[in-house]
Amino acid sequence: MDAFYIGLAEIFEVDVAEIGPDFDLPSHNWDSLAVVSVIALGDECFQKLFDGAALAKCKTVADIELLMSRAEAA
Amino acid sequence: MTHQPLAVRGETGTPGFSLPGVRLAGVVSAVPSRKLVNDDFVARFGADAVRDVTKMVGVETRYWVPPGQTTSDLCHAAAERLLAKLDWSADTIDVLIFVSQTPDQRLPATACVLHARLGLARHCQAFDVGLGCSGYVYGLWLASTLINAGCSRVLLLAGETSSRLLDPDDRGTALLFGDAGTATAITADPDAPASIFVLGTDGGGAANLIVPAGGFRIPAPDARRATGFDPEHLYMDGGEVFTFTLRAVPKLVADALAHAGCGVADIDAFVLHQANRFMLNHIVKKIGARPDQAPINIDRFGNTSSATLPLVLSTDLATRLTAGPARLALVGFGVGYSWGAAVIETCGLGCAEILYL
Repeated sequence: MDAFYIGLAEIFEVDVAEIGPDFDLPSHNWDSLAVVSVIALGDECFQKLFDGAALAKCKTVADIELLMSRAEAA
Repeated sequence: MTHQPLAVRGETGTPGFSLPGVRLAGVVSAVPSRKLVNDDFVARFGADAVRDVTKMVGVETRYWVPPGQTTSDLCHAAAERLLAKLDWSADTIDVLIFVSQTPDQRLPATACVLHARLGLARHCQAFDVGLGCSGYVYGLWLASTLINAGCSRVLLLAGETSSRLLDPDDRGTALLFGDAGTATAITADPDAPASIFVLGTDGGGAANLIVPAGGFRIPAPDARRATGFDPEHLYMDGGEVFTFTLRAVPKLVADALAHAGCGVADIDAFVLHQANRFMLNHIVKKIGARPDQAPINIDRFGNTSSATLPLVLSTDLATRLTAGPARLALVGFGVGYSWGAAVIETCGLGCAEILYL
């Protein structure tokens, strides 16, 4: 999970300590560029492919983690 | 008469096609004179947004047509230069294929108009193919099959003026796309090694990269209100398209290499559709290629749809391809969804250059 949180911190340009399940996405520029970056990150860290439309609807990092647990293997 | 099947099912069950006796003779690209740099977008989107988008898509400059210039104009200029450089007379061309999603008019096929402008012979076949990102590979495939059917020389014209379809307020696409027209000369050559093709489609992704208006299925009157997008403009769901790419392209490349009987290290250059720099870097890593095996020029030209592959051949790879033989993996993927890969061996192109009109 470390590499995933570090990746998320880079994408949202925040300190990695700020990243946790409650991290609020809509207040951190959660746009199509960020969605694409998280898709790539999920592929790199977990070899899993997110559904782009479902990912865009996530509101928190916990939502992303839940989606990832259901995502198909890349 | 026995029928020799062209298709062979690979280990994964994906058919691959092997076509002998076809040689790439030359390629010329043409881009319009109007060059846009990223600073040109700051007034509309703000410096921060332009910086964020650029960091992702990697486009620094792109060329857009001025009013009145079309894809066929760009392709025509490229074709005239190509025929002159190769010393191919117009009456020796058996087929003209025009690959584009931005034709001059609804009818007739733009290929017919280009046929007249180039002064080609009456026996020459001319037709349009309405594909984008995968279109160049499909064009090579069609050229190769037609040569195997008995044609001698094929002129493949591929290009796009996507700038005409963009919503100027959509930063996701406005900064990404560029315009270009290209011409590729393909000839019968009994000594040429076989080219390998793998092609496919998933029309389930059609709505994720689309211009709904302009055809004959009229968008609903409230389409704009329902989707937030003007149906006259290009709509792209970047996340969905990226997921498709990650799912389809590594497998496509693996299938093509398996059918060609070679490994990643045996390919001199992976010529990948220049979709978006972030996506390209990710794909290059996933297929296990070295960065120097996969030239990237999206920084200079943007995503030019069906023109990206010939644009790489005629710029970053021009010196290499005119100097001697090379084994290339050409990979196109995107709008449709549609995809195709070709593993071809070139043997010294007679011409590879770009025109700035």
